[in-house]
Amino acid sequence: MDTEQPVLEIKNLTKKYGTFTALDNLTLTLQAGQIFGLIGPNGAGKTTAIKILVGLNRPTSGSARIAGADCVQDARRIKRLVGYMPDRFGSYDNMRVREYLDFFGAAFGIPRRKRVKRIDEIMETTGTAYMKDRFVESLSHGMQQRVGVARTLLHDPKVLILDEPANGLDPQARIEMRDLLLSLAKLGKTLLVTSHILPELSRICSRVGIITHGKLRAFGTIEEIGRQISQRRTIEAQLTKAEQLSQAAGILRATLEPEAEIVESVPEKAIRFRTAISEDGLGSLLAKLVQGGVLVTQFREVQTDLEEAFMTFARPNQSDAALAGGAARA
Amino acid sequence: MLNAILNRELTTVLRTRRMMFFQVGLIAVFVLLVMIRWPTDNRVTEASNRSQQVFRLFSYGLLTTMLLILPVFPATNIVREKKQGTLALLLNSPLGPFRIYFGKLFSILALAGILLALSMPAAAACYCLGGLSLTEELPRVYAILALVALQYSAVGLYISSRSNSIDGAIRFTYGVILALAVVSLGPHKMLQGTDSDLATYAEWLRCVSPIAALMPVLGAADVGGQGLLATDGVPGRFALLSIVITVLASIGTILRLNHTIFDQSRAQGKISDDQNLFVRIVRRAMFLVDPQRRSGGISWFVNPVMIKEFRCRRFGRLHWLLRLVAVCAILSLVMAYVTTSGTLDWEVSEIGGLMVYLQVALVVLITPSLAAGLIATELESGGWPLLQTTPMSALRIVWGKLLSVILTLILLLFATLPGYIVMVYIDNGMRSQVERVVICLAATAGFAMLLSAGIGSLFRRTAPATVAAYTTLIAICAGPLLVWAGRDAPFGHNTVERVLIMNPVAAPLSVIRAAGFENYNLIPGNWWFMGLVSAASMLVLVFRTQRLWKPR
Repeated sequence: MDTEQPVLEIKNLTKKYGTFTALDNLTLTLQAGQIFGLIGPNGAGKTTAIKILVGLNRPTSGSARIAGADCVQDARRIKRLVGYMPDRFGSYDNMRVREYLDFFGAAFGIPRRKRVKRIDEIMETTGTAYMKDRFVESLSHGMQQRVGVARTLLHDPKVLILDEPANGLDPQARIEMRDLLLSLAKLGKTLLVTSHILPELSRICSRVGIITHGKLRAFGTIEEIGRQISQRRTIEAQLTKAEQLSQAAGILRATLEPEAEIVESVPEKAIRFRTAISEDGLGSLLAKLVQGGVLVTQFREVQTDLEEAFMTFARPNQSDAALAGGAARA
Repeated sequence: MLNAILNRELTTVLRTRRMMFFQVGLIAVFVLLVMIRWPTDNRVTEASNRSQQVFRLFSYGLLTTMLLILPVFPATNIVREKKQGTLALLLNSPLGPFRIYFGKLFSILALAGILLALSMPAAAACYCLGGLSLTEELPRVYAILALVALQYSAVGLYISSRSNSIDGAIRFTYGVILALAVVSLGPHKMLQGTDSDLATYAEWLRCVSPIAALMPVLGAADVGGQGLLATDGVPGRFALLSIVITVLASIGTILRLNHTIFDQSRAQGKISDDQNLFVRIVRRAMFLVDPQRRSGGISWFVNPVMIKEFRCRRFGRLHWLLRLVAVCAILSLVMAYVTTSGTLDWEVSEIGGLMVYLQVALVVLITPSLAAGLIATELESGGWPLLQTTPMSALRIVWGKLLSVILTLILLLFATLPGYIVMVYIDNGMRSQVERVVICLAATAGFAMLLSAGIGSLFRRTAPATVAAYTTLIAICAGPLLVWAGRDAPFGHNTVERVLIMNPVAAPLSVIRAAGFENYNLIPGNWWFMGLVSAASMLVLVFRTQRLWKPR
């Protein structure tokens, strides 16, 4: 597989509904075989972006190409290149799972014999073979999500676009969905996944984009995003006695810059603070705590996670000052 | 507590814009009816006669309105709450099933009461013209209408409590009401004059129909009567049967309003192919086409959407279609047989007329349920964006959907052909008449399908699409018949003929020379009307589909 050639190229994509801008100048490039997680609060523009990519919406300006095909001009080609799973399953009454897949296979014009074989294969891949005779409307949500993924794979698309695949799943089903998406990436598929369940995304995505108010605020690996958020770090000091928390907080306030955020946790006997202090400053801070008689058992930096990054960008006053200029490349 | 439910149910319905337009429209129709027939000269010539004519039409119109509009409210009531999850909240509240049920029933009755109250000024105008009694016709007609509201509300709520989908509840409720109001008249028409237990049962069965109860009150001839018989006490029997049906339906609904309404296991998807040989053989013999057999893949030469439509319908599977066709064929042959064997002293035109009635009733009952939700169901279930992402074109999808309806209707029409063949065999002179009747029926089926599909495509949810299609189609089929009912007075021959041209029921009846229709020449005017409306509906359907299909 040619990993140099981008599979997905979005350039200055904008979508306006009257005066409301749902998507604002989105630019994004993805290589083959990656899992890209697109996160953002409700109404951020994720689904609008996805719908433009699969040809259900037209952009106001800008362009989007998948494997060289323009999402507006080559809408027919796009249908064969992309497997799309919307956030709603799209159930049909009185239809068994195998019939459901057979219908969509026939709709994609897959010849009958090839279709039968293909359905068996994807049922095996997605772990849905045991439910082939069940009626789709009687499936649990987790089962429906799996069948939904199976449906997107029927015509062997290069790119899978999955809108909230882990939404409403129990922990077990979530782990199974995570494994399924990883196995699809191993098969060479490029996945674009939206989700609100950030720990899940952070485990599987090679790249993540954070979108708010229609703008891409951050893009890259989780570590890269963490660095984009701020130069400030979160430090945690674990004490032996909860009674010493206020004393430790007093020392921190006296030493750190006034903007530093300090949070005491009595049950955990811990104190956390966000600061832009240097490495040397941290060393002298620890020394001050020890000299002040505070018994410190641990003193460590807490890594920025996706949830924290998301919250940073989701805050109204933060998002506009975000670092990513709306263009990203991976 | 009861008031809380009543308040909520009633205000939810009354504050919709649709309901306001409906009420204003209803008042306008009633006012127009009275204004048209209001005497304009100084002398009030035969005013009482005219008042009775107007009141007769007005009463039938009111009954038709009740039959068309009212059932949708109880039919959707419980099943909608169940789907939305609010029924679970209600059952979890201190309200018992009695209070919940009667809150719902009274709210629907209050709505019916509003509809009846809206008609009061028009009724008062008729009374002012003279010839109507405050103690005779007026209270009796309103009592019958009130009983209709009570009975059909209870029946609708019962069906709603047993249904799993909103559109299914609507379909079944309209089917039951059509059976109670119209089909129940059939056996009496066939068996009247004979001296048997069956004739007595048929006479009682006829009393279930509010049409049979209303006619004697309005001084009209006995429904389906042939001028020979007149049975007293039909309104009384109707009242009795209405109360009995209401009580039974209410008990059934109240018993359902508990945990059992949610207590349904998921279908496990049993398959005959996995069963032992004996079971497979038995099922094959019993079903002919076993619904639990694993189905094969869709062939390349058929439209996949058509197959999908058949598979998605509860009664779309082949074993159900075979049963439906078999029942139609048997009914048609039985009717032809009773004529030929001389069991009944009927002429061929009479049996032909009855067959036409039954076939049109079947078409009107089945077609909207098949065609109205073609697009709305996809939009509601979330299937539409999935179809949009397939390489199929919008026209191919619509054609596949229409094909699934066309094939079902063709099967139904073909199933009734044996009866007509027997008729031609008995009286070869009727050949051309029968041919024209068959053309009329095929045109009616096409008209009903395109009209339902066109109207249904204007909605995004199946339930309102189905209701709108049923209401329009029944209004087109029943409305002109109301004018026909006043064919001697107040309407003249030309007026009736012009109105009947729009009626899909009247055209084949006039061709077959059924009683009451023999003097009207409705062909080819009726074909032109149906053709134009069908073409317009087709355009609406294509336009709407293309609009929904295009990326926004």
